[in-house]
Amino acid sequence: MLYREAGDFSTSYTADNQTFPIKFDRYRYYFILVIAFLVIPFFINDYWANAILVPFLIYSIAAIGLNILTGYCGQVSLGTGGFMAVGAYSFYKLMTAFPEISIMLHVLLSGCVTAVVVTLFGLPSLRIKGFYLAVATLAAQFFLVWMFNKVPWFYNYSMTGMIGSPERTVLGIVVTGPHTDAWAQYFVCLIFVTLCAVMARNLTRGSVGRKWMAIRDMDIAAEIIGVNPLKAKLSAFAVSGFFIGIAGALYFGVFLGAVEVTEAFGIEKSFMVLFMIIIGGLGSIFGSFAGAAFMVLLPVFLKNVFVGGLGWPTDLAAHLNFVIAGGLIIMFLILEPHGLAQLWRVAKEKLRLWPFPH
Amino acid sequence: MKIKLTSIVLGAVLATGPALADLVMPMLSYRTGPYAVNGIPFADGFNDYLTLMNERDGGVGGVKIDIRECETGYNTEKGVECYEALKGEGALVFAPLSTGITYQLIPKATADGIPVHSMGYGRTSAKNGKVFSNIFNYPANYWDGASIAIKHIMDLEGGNINGKKITLLYHNSGYGKEPIRTLEELAIKHGFTYTGIAVDHPGQEQKSQWLQIRQNKPDYVLMWGWGVMNQVAIQ
Repeated sequence: MLYREAGDFSTSYTADNQTFPIKFDRYRYYFILVIAFLVIPFFINDYWANAILVPFLIYSIAAIGLNILTGYCGQVSLGTGGFMAVGAYSFYKLMTAFPEISIMLHVLLSGCVTAVVVTLFGLPSLRIKGFYLAVATLAAQFFLVWMFNKVPWFYNYSMTGMIGSPERTVLGIVVTGPHTDAWAQYFVCLIFVTLCAVMARNLTRGSVGRKWMAIRDMDIAAEIIGVNPLKAKLSAFAVSGFFIGIAGALYFGVFLGAVEVTEAFGIEKSFMVLFMIIIGGLGSIFGSFAGAAFMVLLPVFLKNVFVGGLGWPTDLAAHLNFVIAGGLIIMFLILEPHGLAQLWRVAKEKLRLWPFPH
Repeated sequence: MKIKLTSIVLGAVLATGPALADLVMPMLSYRTGPYAVNGIPFADGFNDYLTLMNERDGGVGGVKIDIRECETGYNTEKGVECYEALKGEGALVFAPLSTGITYQLIPKATADGIPVHSMGYGRTSAKNGKVFSNIFNYPANYWDGASIAIKHIMDLEGGNINGKKITLLYHNSGYGKEPIRTLEELAIKHGFTYTGIAVDHPGQEQKSQWLQIRQNKPDYVLMWGWGVMNQVAIQ
C-alpha cells in the first residue's frame, strides 16, 4: 500500500536510475533532509548537539567509510581508530599551519591525507586476505597511535601531547573552539554527512561499487571477468580512508575540541565502528546510519533511563549498560545476521504488500 | 527508531527534573574502566564529605548541597555528555577528575562561565589566572609534585644530587607527560641525569620498561602512574 511503484512512471533513464525510485521513499528522503537542515538547527541545544546528534553524525561518516571497505569490498579492517587519528592530526596540522584557509577545505584535505595513508596500509591486501589482513590493519592501528604519541611534530611540541582545536570561522560563523554554537557544530557535521552519504551511495551504485562487490563475493571470479583487483581494492581503501579521515577531523575539531591520541583513537574506537557496521548491516549506507545511531544513542538512552529516570547508582547503570549493549549485539547477530538494514528491507517488502499477506 | 527517539526525549526530560533551590554539585566519577581502582574511593569520599556537610552543617550557609553523580569511565566522550547534561541542571563547579576531560572542558567551561576545580591535576599552566580565568587547580599541581619529589631526593642525598640518575616512569598520556618539562629543567639545574620511560594506557604491560630500568640502573625511579599501572608496577 504505502511502498509501491504503482502509478510512478519513469519517462527517462535518469528518472529510472535515481537513488530512490519509489515515490514514497523519495519523499521520505526529502522530508528527512528538510527536517535535518531546516528544523533541527532551530531547536538544538548544547546537550542534544554534544551528547547525541554530533557524535551520531560523525560516527555515521566513519561507519560509511568502513562499510565501503569491509561491507562493499570485503576487506576487514581493524585500523579505523588509527585512521581517524590520521584525519584528526592532519586537520590539526593544517588548521594551525594555514589558519587563513577555510577549515571546510582543511577537512576535505585531511580526508585526502588519510586516503593516501590508508592506501599505503592497504597495499598488503593484495597479498593477504581475511583474518591476516585484519591483523595487518591492527598493526596499522597500533603503529599510528604510537607514532602520534612519539613524534612531537604532530602535536606541535605541546607539553602534554594533546592537540586542541583553535577557534576558526566559516563565513563569519564560529565552527570550532569553545564559542561554537550548537547549531553551527551540528550544521557543519550535517553538511559533511550529507555529502559523504550521497557520494558513497552513488559510488556504490556505479561501476566502481560493482567492482568492489565482485571482489568481495569472489576475488578470483572477479579477476577472470576483468576486474582489476589492484585498482578495485586500493580504490576501496582510498575512498574508505577519505571518509574516515573526514570523520576523524570532525571528531577532533568540531566535536571534542581537544584529544589525546591513546584515549580518543585507541583500539576501542576501531571495534566500535566495526560493531556499528555489523549491527547496522554490512554493505548498506542506511545500515551505517542505523548502526551509528544504535551505538551512540543506546548508552545515552540507558543512562538517562537508569540514572535520570529511576535514580539508580551510576556505577550500576554503567555496568548494566555493558550487559544490555552486549546482550543486544549478540541477540541481533543471532536473529538478524544482516543487521538493522535487513530489518528495514524486510519491513519495506511487507509494506509493499500490506494489507495483503502475499 | 521513532519510539526510541521519543523515549530518549522522555528520558532527557526526566533527567532534567524540576529546578531546585539547592546547590548543584556535579561529580564526574569513574567507578568503571581501567582506573576504577582510584575512581571508586575518590567518588565515595567526595560523596561522604558532601553528605557530612549536609547532615552536620545543613549544607553551605544553610543551603543543602545536591550531589549529581555522573559516570565517565575516564572516557572523554562520556565526560562531554556528563558536562552538557549537568550544565543544563545548573552545575556550580566542575571537578572533571581526569586530565583528559579537564583539557577538554577548560575552553568550554570558560566560554560558559562555569568554574572548574581540577584539584592537583589537569593543566598546570592554568595556575596563571590571567589566561585561564575559570580554572582552579589548588592545592598543588604537577610541577609542584615533580619539584617536591626532586627536593625529597635531595634531602635523602644530603643536598647534592649531581651526577645521579633519576628515571621517570610515566603514564603515556597528558597526565603523565605534564612533569617531564619540569624534570628536564631541574636536571639542568641540579646536574642529575633524567630519563623518561613511557607506559602506555592502561598500564597492564610494563615488562620492557622495567627491563630498561634494570639496564640503566638509575639511583631513583619516580613513578607517575594511575589506576592499574600502579598495582602492576608494585607487584
